[in-house]
Amino acid sequence: MDELLGEFISETQETLEALAGVVVEWEADPSDRDRLDSIFRFFHTVKGSCGFLNLPRFERLSHAAEDVLSEIRSGRSVPDPATVNAVLAVMDRIGELAEAVASGVSLPSENDDLLIAALRQDSAVAGKTVPTVGSPAPPLQKSGSSINSLRTIRLPLTLIDQLMNGVSDMVLARNELSRKLRDHISDPDIDSAFERLSTCVADMRDAISKTRMQRVDRLFAAVPRMVRDLGRELGKRIDLDLEGGDVEMDREMVEMVLDPLTHIVRNSIDHGIETPVQRAASGKPEHGTLRLVARQSGNQIVIEISDDGKGIDTDALVRKAVQNGTVTPDTAARMTEQEKLDLIFLPGLSTAKSVTAVSGRGVGMDVVRANVERIGGVIALENQPGRGLKITLRVPLTLTIIPGLIVTAGGQQFAIPRSAIVEILHENNATLSIARIGGACIATIRNTRHSMIDLEDVLGLPRHYQAGPRTVMVVRSTSGVPFAMSVASVDNHEELVIRPASPLIMATGMYAGMTLPDNGQPMLLLDAGGLANTANLSNVDEDRGNQAVDLGKPEARPIEMLSTLRFEELTGEERLVRLSLVERVEDIDTGLFGLSGGKAFVHVDGRLLRVANGHHTFDQPTVTALRLRDGDREVCYPVARVTDIVQVPSTPDMALSEGLISGVVLIDDAHLEILDPFTLFAGVPDEPVAPIDVPRCILAESDDVWAKEILSPLLKQAGYDVLIGMPEGHALRPDDVILCVNADTAKALSTDRPIVQLRSATKPHSNEDRSIYRYDRNAVMAAIDSARRGGVA
Amino acid sequence: MMNQLYLFACVAGTPIAVRTEEIEAVVKLTDISPVPGMPPHIAGLSALRSRVLTMIDVAALIRGVPTPHEQRELAIIADISSHSYGLIVEGVSDICTVSEGPLPLRGRLSPAWMPFAQAIVENEGEPHLLVSLASFIDPALTLAA
Repeated sequence: MDELLGEFISETQETLEALAGVVVEWEADPSDRDRLDSIFRFFHTVKGSCGFLNLPRFERLSHAAEDVLSEIRSGRSVPDPATVNAVLAVMDRIGELAEAVASGVSLPSENDDLLIAALRQDSAVAGKTVPTVGSPAPPLQKSGSSINSLRTIRLPLTLIDQLMNGVSDMVLARNELSRKLRDHISDPDIDSAFERLSTCVADMRDAISKTRMQRVDRLFAAVPRMVRDLGRELGKRIDLDLEGGDVEMDREMVEMVLDPLTHIVRNSIDHGIETPVQRAASGKPEHGTLRLVARQSGNQIVIEISDDGKGIDTDALVRKAVQNGTVTPDTAARMTEQEKLDLIFLPGLSTAKSVTAVSGRGVGMDVVRANVERIGGVIALENQPGRGLKITLRVPLTLTIIPGLIVTAGGQQFAIPRSAIVEILHENNATLSIARIGGACIATIRNTRHSMIDLEDVLGLPRHYQAGPRTVMVVRSTSGVPFAMSVASVDNHEELVIRPASPLIMATGMYAGMTLPDNGQPMLLLDAGGLANTANLSNVDEDRGNQAVDLGKPEARPIEMLSTLRFEELTGEERLVRLSLVERVEDIDTGLFGLSGGKAFVHVDGRLLRVANGHHTFDQPTVTALRLRDGDREVCYPVARVTDIVQVPSTPDMALSEGLISGVVLIDDAHLEILDPFTLFAGVPDEPVAPIDVPRCILAESDDVWAKEILSPLLKQAGYDVLIGMPEGHALRPDDVILCVNADTAKALSTDRPIVQLRSATKPHSNEDRSIYRYDRNAVMAAIDSARRGGVA
Repeated sequence: MMNQLYLFACVAGTPIAVRTEEIEAVVKLTDISPVPGMPPHIAGLSALRSRVLTMIDVAALIRGVPTPHEQRELAIIADISSHSYGLIVEGVSDICTVSEGPLPLRGRLSPAWMPFAQAIVENEGEPHLLVSLASFIDPALTLAA
């Protein structure tokens, strides 16, 4: 009997969970017969089961609800909001009762009558008497076929966990056997048998892992109800759109994501979506839209929560941050939009004007972010002020297996989630400088200062002597401020099976769990945020706007060394340039280079940069280019290739005082010239490059769809400025190229500029026909190019 | 009461008795990986097949100093609030029922044992302190915090 009861309770709870969404959909569209039927079926099943389980209260409630619903089903009454409310209340009460029965506590029953009265009254208002005897419910029989045809069994979770542990044991035993086998003489027979065993074990592990998977539906199940209730409470109208419920993720992961997701949804309804009046005033539809989308991307689950509300007011955020001293006004002025937006993750900052019952209870996005990052996830915001906010959660597919790095510190190994690591550098890396002052340690990496800790110091381990350089990792902490952590070495990258550590160990706050890697030695998983807290790293004023500018100065040493980038000029010479000047190295499309008024330029990132060495024509489609920066000005320096980063004495072996070359050094018997940054930047004075310089194509027919929709994007992509229609009143520029789709247009044009004639037929009409088939991209590009050259020459 | 089985062991030189329901197994100690930043009575982590045990040096909890490695012999494995622990003991002598059941504590107990001892259980005329394994974990939690 107990078993039956347990079965009944868990089945009821599960159905309730699944139905929460259905009820809301039914409310939205009361004529939806399918939804109504499934709710009716629920009450009917509950009533039927509790009859022989002797649960009179369940029976009364479900009976009453069933009556009302059957009225609606037969068309004798209409579901008004009050009825729906009453039905929902009864469902909730059944859920509470189930909970109570499961945990063996009693629930006062007087409210049952109220609920039932509410149900009856409403249907009486609808003009019907309520039959008091149970109504027959024939549709139950056909329910099975429509819901699912997959045969399933119910298993206790402990059994699945046991299976999982059993498989883990098997994997460990397999690993041990494999080590033992390797020690002995290899026998192909045994090897192949062992190989087969290995495959089986691996398959088994995968299969067992799948038993832990659950559909994201379960995560979404509570959302419709929450949206409905909150929307009603706050007087907002919200359309909910759920997508991707069939994506599967780990059962534990679902549990862990539930809280952050709930919080985000509440926030979005409370602070994001405006009231119908406000929405109408800002020209939006009265119904706000909330969209939840789940999808799998590699070994991650991406959950997007987007609304079309008012978004985040970043200026208000900044004001608040300045007010409570988290950010100095000075810094605030320098912050980018994204940095401002990220302020929302700081503890104690909220844009809510007042604390409401729904959210803004002091638990904010900082907690959401911490929770998401604790499970190895990432949270990102996409803010469109006034138009909406999209929050993207990326979480690993399973909680228990995460990609991790194994690091050594103080002779011991630790794991750290891969997702927490931003960057890994050797201590002697040129872009890194470490300063120790008054016990504090500051690492400056490419002009950004980070607090630095030695893992050994935080953990209280001795530091072992080591021959090679230590490794510095930039770690993203939950407080949002990355810090640098120095370890003896980073050893390995492994998929780690993470288990929770005992509370004793978790109490230190430095560990996030433990893992048993293949070698069978237990290992602890470090908690990045916890380490930062333990080390008392300051979270404030690590502002990213406040970047150091002059990293270029090497530290004072007997022989000052300078980090330089070794590269080969387009003309073949091998040269060096101070690494600190190099903003980045990238391959640039040669089509983006051009010449104007004798000055070479390149069109990148929507800006024009001067080309320092004057090159502007290349025989390759792309060219490697250095982007050099003197602090605020940037120039481009195309090179043949970049060879290496080399350390050279800051005083060259031979100093030259004139020209682009400041000196020559000897490296590995090769003499290398050092570029003089002064001359380099002095040679390209800071004068605005006229935007006129982008090579321009003119599409002669302004009304041709093909030219406008197909050709023009292609040309823009290739780096051309496209003008649709012949310019009136403006003189054509000497390097303009005109493209015509119709032969007649070309004839009508009276211009000295070269015309590229395109045709839609694949074959030319005659031998004199010089037009080009318009879908032959290479030929079109070549024709434009040669026309330009012809024109310029 | 008559059928209550006890495990008799020795910790910090003191004979103790543990109700067998609390015990999952008694194993020989294997390698322990230390956990930095922990109070001295938390010896570290140890792997038992695919499970990871948190090893508690019970003697360190009583005496305040960690037990030397060579004296670490056996561990009582127990599942306490769904985490697996190994409690390091010096020796295990017997498992049996005790006819007279637990007796009240008499005499003045040393303060070190106060939080742990619940009663006295006599086996073959020798008194043993009846302890609950969970009590070794819970006060430890407050110490570590």
